Amino acid sequence: MTVSRVPVSIFVVLAALSLVVSGCSSAAPAASAADVDLTVATFGEFGYGPLFAEYEQAHPNVHVKGRVTDFDTHHKGLATQLATGRGAADVVAIEEQYLPTYRQSLDKFVDLATYGAKDLQNQWAPWKWAQGVSGDHVLGLGTDMGSLALCYRRDLIAAAGLPADRAALAKLMPTWQAYADVAERFAKATPDVKFADSAGTIYTAMLNQAPENYFSQVDDSFIADRNPNVRNAFYLAGGIGAKGETAGVTPYTQPWTVAIKQGSFATIACPAWLLTQIREAGGAENSGKWDVTTIPGASGNQGGSFLTVPKQGKHPKEAYELARWLTAPEQQKKLFLSAGILPSEPAVYKDPQVVAKTDPYFSDAPVGQLFAASADTLRPNYRGLRDADVRPEFGRALGRIEQQKQTVEVAWPDALQQARGVLK
Amino acid sequence: MLRGPWLARADRRVTPILFVAPFFLIFLVFGLFPLLYTAWISLRDWQLINGDGGFVGLVNYTKLFADPNFYNALVNTVGIFLLAAIPGMLASLGIAALLNRPLRGATWWRTGVLLPNVVSVAAVGLVFGQLFGRDYGVVNWALGLVGVDPVDWQASTWSSHLAVASMVMWRWTGYNALIYLSAMQAVPDERYEAAELDGASRWRTLWSITVPGIRPTLVFTVVTATVSGLQLFAEPQLFDTSGVAGTGGSDRQFQTLTMYLYEKGIGHYDAGYAAAIAWVLFVICAVFALVNFRLVRRFVGHTR
Repeated sequence: MTVSRVPVSIFVVLAALSLVVSGCSSAAPAASAADVDLTVATFGEFGYGPLFAEYEQAHPNVHVKGRVTDFDTHHKGLATQLATGRGAADVVAIEEQYLPTYRQSLDKFVDLATYGAKDLQNQWAPWKWAQGVSGDHVLGLGTDMGSLALCYRRDLIAAAGLPADRAALAKLMPTWQAYADVAERFAKATPDVKFADSAGTIYTAMLNQAPENYFSQVDDSFIADRNPNVRNAFYLAGGIGAKGETAGVTPYTQPWTVAIKQGSFATIACPAWLLTQIREAGGAENSGKWDVTTIPGASGNQGGSFLTVPKQGKHPKEAYELARWLTAPEQQKKLFLSAGILPSEPAVYKDPQVVAKTDPYFSDAPVGQLFAASADTLRPNYRGLRDADVRPEFGRALGRIEQQKQTVEVAWPDALQQARGVLK
Repeated sequence: MLRGPWLARADRRVTPILFVAPFFLIFLVFGLFPLLYTAWISLRDWQLINGDGGFVGLVNYTKLFADPNFYNALVNTVGIFLLAAIPGMLASLGIAALLNRPLRGATWWRTGVLLPNVVSVAAVGLVFGQLFGRDYGVVNWALGLVGVDPVDWQASTWSSHLAVASMVMWRWTGYNALIYLSAMQAVPDERYEAAELDGASRWRTLWSITVPGIRPTLVFTVVTATVSGLQLFAEPQLFDTSGVAGTGGSDRQFQTLTMYLYEKGIGHYDAGYAAAIAWVLFVICAVFALVNFRLVRRFVGHTR
């Protein structure tokens, strides 16, 4: 019994000593910077992994952890996290189509202007900066953007007797009407392969080329029934769908992935970030079969995200510093060159190294040039506050057309009525 | 001497309460409180992110009763429930009757029928969603072998209801069969012997001896199946290939009430409206359970 007591007391003394020692040693640096744990919540692929390590190296007291979920889970999760006041990451990415929703809850987010975000304004393309701002409140710092291009399967286009060359194909389809005409020619030549993935994709791309969609830029009133851009897009996309020239697969779903892998459709309107998804869905066996060219119609933006700082975080200042660093030009350039994430800052997308970039998976298409060129002529696109509530109704209506349950003439007023019902 | 009887009396009174108390405490926290809190939210203009926007009375309810999507979801829910519950329960009865006979490897069979219930709902939903795929689904491939044209399962009402009901049956048939089996084993042997003496067929024995003999269990499964069937969510939600963004097909053809609640509450962030749906659903469940309880009691005659 007495024997065992000795080691115990020694242990106690040692433990006490070590406490004192560690207390002393940690007291000195604590005055300058205590340890800070930051979580960054993103969806899909942001390519931030290596950047976190780099940031931690430069800031030894900061530990950065990434949290990646899928697109819908991420945004719906954020809503409940904001509602309950807990669980949100320190830095949260928000995609552009969800911005209007969260803009209605500015009090849940740190106004980044308080940390001097306004000094950074000129870093971004003006429309990108404007999307992340509400009045004087700076809600988010822009990450990537989604300039639109057209991705296509060279082999399938050639098999239908159409020009597979980038410039020639773009010349053949300068407008969406021309695109619809080519779809018809394509369907006649190779009836087993569809021309596009879905009517919804065509429709969305067309809307993203229009300055206004469902709501008025002036007073946010519902104008879908009066806006010719919406109607034209719906009728054109619906017409292609009604003729069975689309594969009828909803983007990012499992059937869509399978359709890409099996080569079930030949073209898809692709924002810059979609290239990664096509590459992942298609796999190695489809490498070199795809190519990228200019999109019919004008240039447009679809998607792109922002880094925000929810108020409930413990370290808003450190979170802002991290968000600022992640969206800084040097990092945007690295992300484009390593992961193909299109920068939203002119200084970067005009950088010769960025412009010169080609993508081997897409037959060495000059993606840097294609996407950067259209970024410069972009017109910002106004989304109403309730855009996200109304939009799915039109998508579903196009789905009904593709499933041959409704004609375009029936689906259009039906969608309008459903949309009005949501707004009631 | 005086403390003894007092303690004993207290023991007799208090101890049973202490034993059942944990259930009631948990029910209070996770059952009753949310129920009442939901009722309170349903009377208010409550946006999920921004919170309480003030008392609005019955506005959410009047809007709901004028909402065609609500009735659509109600019809779908009841339709899928009937399509899944009636054949499912009959199949359960049949399987239980088979398992109740002397069988080689009885434990193996009994464990086997429970397996589908152990698999996570999400996995079931995803796998069935692919089995019923339009372009590369196994079901369409099998139909193709017998010369039937591929069916776009998600597209129309009947086919989507059938597919969702098959998922529900897959999950619950074996589970209910085991419950029936345990009840069947408690039916006294004398009755079977009497039936045998009377020369009753196996079929007649099943309906005249076994089924009335397990009546309380039948009532129990019918009530639980009603409640869970009317709250059906994961299977149809995952059957929509758009996942959590889905609303049960392009025409809401397989949107159930709970899916509509989810669309309103989590999709449109309208918590007040979603709470109103939840309360209406609660009342519907209670009414349906009561009606089914009465029906089963009436049709399956009295034996005791």
